[in-house]
Amino acid sequence: MSVREATPDVAEARRMLRKGIVIAGVGETEQGILKDRGSFDLLAEATKLTLDDAGITLAEVDGMVTAFSFVEHTLMHATTFCDYLGFHPGYFASVAVGGATAPLMAVQAALAIDAGLAEVVLCVRGDNTRSGISSSGMIAQAREMTQGEFEWPYGVTTIGGYGLLAQRYMHEYNVPQEALAAVVVTQSEHGALKWNAMLRDVVTIEDVLNSRMIATPFHVLDCSLVNDGAAAFLVTTADRAKSMKTKPVYIAGIGEGYSHQYISQAQSVDSVRDGLGRAGRRAMEVAGITPDDLDVAEIYDSFSFTPLIALEGFGICGKGEAGDWVLEGNAKLGGKLPMNTAGGLIRQAHLGAMHHIVEAALQLRGEADDTARGGGNHQVPDAKLAITNGSGGILAATSAIVLSSEPPSA
Amino acid sequence: MAERNEARIAWQGSQIKEGSRPEGRPFWAGTKEGKLLLPTGPDGTPFWYPRAYAKGNLGEVTWTESKGEGTVYTYSIHYLGPPGFSKKGDPPHVIALVDLDEGVRVMTNLVRDEDGYPDIDPDTVRIGQRVRVVFDEVSEDYTLPRFTPVA
Repeated sequence: MSVREATPDVAEARRMLRKGIVIAGVGETEQGILKDRGSFDLLAEATKLTLDDAGITLAEVDGMVTAFSFVEHTLMHATTFCDYLGFHPGYFASVAVGGATAPLMAVQAALAIDAGLAEVVLCVRGDNTRSGISSSGMIAQAREMTQGEFEWPYGVTTIGGYGLLAQRYMHEYNVPQEALAAVVVTQSEHGALKWNAMLRDVVTIEDVLNSRMIATPFHVLDCSLVNDGAAAFLVTTADRAKSMKTKPVYIAGIGEGYSHQYISQAQSVDSVRDGLGRAGRRAMEVAGITPDDLDVAEIYDSFSFTPLIALEGFGICGKGEAGDWVLEGNAKLGGKLPMNTAGGLIRQAHLGAMHHIVEAALQLRGEADDTARGGGNHQVPDAKLAITNGSGGILAATSAIVLSSEPPSA
Repeated sequence: MAERNEARIAWQGSQIKEGSRPEGRPFWAGTKEGKLLLPTGPDGTPFWYPRAYAKGNLGEVTWTESKGEGTVYTYSIHYLGPPGFSKKGDPPHVIALVDLDEGVRVMTNLVRDEDGYPDIDPDTVRIGQRVRVVFDEVSEDYTLPRFTPVA
């Protein structure tokens, strides 16, 4: 891989990661409409699955990073969950940056490990969102994404907030509706192979375009899912992972970026792309790689448009070119850079970017063949490097991480 | 005059009240008098939304009046609104970002005429369209600015 010149603060991030910070276990529950499940119940199952994957017990965990719940609100989510489990780690934190939360949980764990606050950190997020507050409850959450006095009262939704920037983007670059639909089609082909994907049917561009319009340019099939479920990953040192049973995946790069909080504050398509793109560009710079080095991309996909601007912001595609890039099949399994290989938020499930991280780790472990579990083979052959990101708000706060099957080079 | 969606108007009034900050009071006092006032920084540059200190430089805030005309930067036709705003079967409403000639971008609804309702015919909306402000009294306390195409 080609290594780029390190600026001093990039060197500091590299120093931390090149000591060897790894994901040593992952776990994911069933996803979908799980009426008999509660928020903490799902978190506990994801925790158990992840510890089993790593081959360790709860007693060996000394750090807990959680997120938040739409259903069971608490000011102290991490310690509330620790109490639910009945254990008392020396390090705990709750991270709440919307869809950017999952990669930031990994960053938080890495920082805690580097600072000597903990050695084995469990990162877990999940909720019974679908059964607990329903899809219309999620639409009401738009109040959290918008300016309460000067945006929300006009009747804007999160879907339409994204729609505002998507329509401007499509106008500036003459991007057809079919390009957005191609993201959905591609991910439906991938989701069909994932054992726990909520939607397992393969759709066509016509299916997307003929589905109900929610807020232009987004049809219902362009939107991500509202579901119940949980997922987790275990962060530790490469040394500590030697005594665990799973092949570790290295965190090789981290980065954040944002250009606005409320969509009316976004200056332009360029400024948004540059702001959120900084997260991915920075993560690749820390990892010492370029987009050409990537084998897998797990890109936040709250709506069909969302990955397009990220692909461009990360430098994977040129400005205005991501739609054609997807239409040409580059994002498919077998394509140039397979994207959202478990179906993403649009087809698998929406737990922020948790599944993006879990799927990236499974790909780099070579364990993305779900044939034995009733799914199919969605393994990218010989995958070594993956990028994954999450975005909170409306194309706002973004965090990205690069994962590697090999130790980052010194 | 077109029929007003009273349930929606009541919801909007209640949501503005719930979301309001002290910094926005001069703005809402202005709209009651048919004026679109913009918070403005020490160098005379207006900004949006109202803040206690000028955006980006913590300078003193003064208020300047906008001519109330601008250009549609982008829009999204909403077939589904937040619960309380719209119900099944309601006609779509249009959310737009409008660039005022004074250089600030605001979120708004596009409406057909001076009466505030009905919503604009979605087929007639386009990016780059010229629009002007109309004022809609949604409650005793709040008058909401919306925008309508310049004839």
